[in-house]
Amino acid sequence: MNEQLKYLNDALKKESGIKYQLQLHKWQTDFFRFYQSQTNYNISKDLIALSAELYKGKKPYSFSIDSPDQAKIDSALKTALEMIDHMPEDPDFVDLEDDLTLAEPKDIPNNINEISLDKKTAILSRLAKIAGEHDFELFGTFICNFESDHLINSNHLDKISMQSPIYLEVKAVHRKTQVTVLETFGGEDFGYFDEEQFSRNLLAKIKFAQNSIVDVEPGEYEVILAPRCVAEFAQYLAYGMSAFAIDRRSSFFEGKLDSKVFPEIFSLTDDPNDPELIHCDYGDGGHIYRPLKLIDKGYFRAFMCNNYFHHKLGLPKNGNQGNCLSIAPGSSTLEKMISKVKKGLYISSLHYMNFINPKETSLTGLTRDGTFLIEDGKITKVVNNLRFTEKIARIFENVVELEDTAKSIPFSGNYADFSVRTTKAPHARIARFNISSSTRTI
Amino acid sequence: MEHKIKQIISKLDSPDISFADVRITFTDYESIFFMNGNLRGYTSSKVSPAIGIRVLIDGCFGFAGSKDLSDASISRLIARAKSNAIHGAKFQKEKLTFPALPATIGEYIHKPEIDPFLMPQEEKLEYFKKLAELIKPQGKIVNSHVAAEFERQEKFYANSEGSYSHTVVYNTLPLMGVVAADAGGIQSRTWPGHMSAGRAGFELFHQQQFMENTQRIIKEATDLLTAPTISEEKADIIIGAGHLALQLHESVGHATEADRIFGQEISFAGKTFVKPSMLGKFKYGSDILNIYSDSTDPKGMGYHPLDDEGVPGKRVDIIKNGILVNQQTSRHIAHKLGLEPSSNMRASFADDIPLVRMSNFCIAPGKGSLQDLIADTEHGYLLDFTKTWSIDDNRNNFQFTTEIGYKIKDGKITGIVKEPTYFGITPEFWNACDAICGEEEWGYQSTFNCGKGEPGQVMRLSHGVAPARFKNINVRVKI
Repeated sequence: MNEQLKYLNDALKKESGIKYQLQLHKWQTDFFRFYQSQTNYNISKDLIALSAELYKGKKPYSFSIDSPDQAKIDSALKTALEMIDHMPEDPDFVDLEDDLTLAEPKDIPNNINEISLDKKTAILSRLAKIAGEHDFELFGTFICNFESDHLINSNHLDKISMQSPIYLEVKAVHRKTQVTVLETFGGEDFGYFDEEQFSRNLLAKIKFAQNSIVDVEPGEYEVILAPRCVAEFAQYLAYGMSAFAIDRRSSFFEGKLDSKVFPEIFSLTDDPNDPELIHCDYGDGGHIYRPLKLIDKGYFRAFMCNNYFHHKLGLPKNGNQGNCLSIAPGSSTLEKMISKVKKGLYISSLHYMNFINPKETSLTGLTRDGTFLIEDGKITKVVNNLRFTEKIARIFENVVELEDTAKSIPFSGNYADFSVRTTKAPHARIARFNISSSTRTI
Repeated sequence: MEHKIKQIISKLDSPDISFADVRITFTDYESIFFMNGNLRGYTSSKVSPAIGIRVLIDGCFGFAGSKDLSDASISRLIARAKSNAIHGAKFQKEKLTFPALPATIGEYIHKPEIDPFLMPQEEKLEYFKKLAELIKPQGKIVNSHVAAEFERQEKFYANSEGSYSHTVVYNTLPLMGVVAADAGGIQSRTWPGHMSAGRAGFELFHQQQFMENTQRIIKEATDLLTAPTISEEKADIIIGAGHLALQLHESVGHATEADRIFGQEISFAGKTFVKPSMLGKFKYGSDILNIYSDSTDPKGMGYHPLDDEGVPGKRVDIIKNGILVNQQTSRHIAHKLGLEPSSNMRASFADDIPLVRMSNFCIAPGKGSLQDLIADTEHGYLLDFTKTWSIDDNRNNFQFTTEIGYKIKDGKITGIVKEPTYFGITPEFWNACDAICGEEEWGYQSTFNCGKGEPGQVMRLSHGVAPARFKNINVRVKI
């Protein structure tokens, strides 16, 4: 056990009547940013943080210490013990996590060491050459993280987990038209990265991006959503499957457990064991993270619920947080799906989505990184980026076909400590999708 | 710490390093969260350290940052920053360069009226407990929250040109909100809206009259459950200061960040429709529109004596009489565009890279009060309190929903509407601005949470605004 974690744990064991959870978080990143097919920055960052969540009866108090040492711990603990008696109670608190199940041990290499900066720039140089031949420049990020968490609590929970996410995002932007296309790789095992396939995918998109640019009128369109879009809509939908949303009275799924909410072809699982996804060992509070069927053949089957809300709301608890979402593939191919569209849109990626009303799943957002017109079963033109105003529930109610393979899509968490997670999704054909306005730009 | 940071700069004095800077921050932070009348979370972090070292070698920046300020860590960070620059330079077509600036020394020590870290904890908690009790679930209110974040940040900056600054600032973020529900759905109201932060201590809660507005948000959230939506296709809208700050932020502030022109933020934050050729010519807004970036006003959270790459704070016109005249720049990008740097390079913490960021980004006041403006409006809506916001990759197409709209008929407020939603194209919208309220309505609206950059940073910044009116705006969106 880390010296500082042990020191705080030993000190708290001596305090009677205090329940506690301690977490030692170590995090490193090597974050390569590139633009116009050249380096912008390579950023190396690291941190070690020790956080403590204490309860005296139902009175809570939390603190965190960056780069902890014994003097900082002594000071923070002294303040905490002086303060906690003065805190108001949280009547909904019952106890800390008591699930002591350990995850299967995994060998997690540090991808920061495995994928050097020179290796990254060599890959990008080759991709830049291919894109440059078609008058496109590359923009994006190539990120490797390594993080470990050691969680202990006063219920004898003692768990360590590690992750080393990789996130490669390459945007090819046409030098004159600014038409943009996107290709990504995400996961923990760089062995799954096939540079030749990645180049072929990027090049295929670059070729579509050389078509003429048109605008389309607002209205309902049949659309093919790329895996990235399906994945992102699923992430937003999953908010309503959380106990937190139930507690806030803002869940679409309230009162819908075991009800049919979507067509039979739609199934959604939170699966930490999928080797193509960034894995999760434990959920919030340290509960073991196991596969959980959320939507099974169209039926809503479970809420994601941590220990706190389990006690408050009476829902069954699990470690799931929607970090490893996976939408089951269907039986079609992308080519067949496109061939069935008389007039519609292919949407590559989404931008700046925000709920209007989470209980209704209504939201607005935009397309980006390649929106294309489909005419008579073929992609024919580039379309300006478009705004949609939709209900996610309606989008998935209108799924008519899914691709026979699902792809792991990386997403970065950019509003707090930098993190990467993945969601797996196939292409989807949606019968009706509401475009509310055009951006008139690419 | 001055000695330490200058010592690190001296270690970076070598012929291969053409520019270097070092930042060190110490941050105190406290957050308090009550839900449904009960304390759900109290978190404290004291004197959290951070250091960032940036070097320019062979025309390429390398950066390394950490929370560890030990000598061993600093040696490691110096080596890593150099290595990042040297290896990064191998994948570079254009060497990065900018002119030197004269050495500048700056100091600013901010003192709040009520220091949130020194006031009696019992007094602070008692205030929040009382506030939370007043808005706890009752009638159709099913959920409520009171949130506060307090921050004190001390920062040291030094660069290889001899510039040095030392600042201490306090920032506070207060917010409360309620959710009402019935069989037909849910509606929410917050106070004082999502741009509620300020360069202040605990006194901000008193200034923003939290206790006085609890019953207002309960009533309005409840009334919204049965309120109609806007039925017109287009309408004149007056936008209140809190929400107008966000409109300004998204459709002018981010759009005029010049790093976006060159695609430096393309993978996450996006691009901009603004092009260098538009400077001095492009009619961004109506003739009454004057917008400026001002890092010289200590009342806003964007104040600094020096920015995070050593440019002294300054006030820069961005839009003058409706014409785009300048942009927010870094030293490198200003040099590429043939402009003077605008003092907009900022980082959230020392272990973050500096980015082109808004500081105090403001609309100059016009004339008259909000009451005058309402009285001057024959038919329209007063919109305020942001609910949903979204804008495209190029900052050209936006759509906003506010929590509430107040219907105006013949110069008077006659009722409310729920989920008022409007959308538009940035320059068309700002050219439709026909009135801006005066000094008496002008003030700073500030946020803790402007997200930009990779790795992500959330910036504290302010907008000086007064309510303004926009003519014939699209207000009908099918949901």
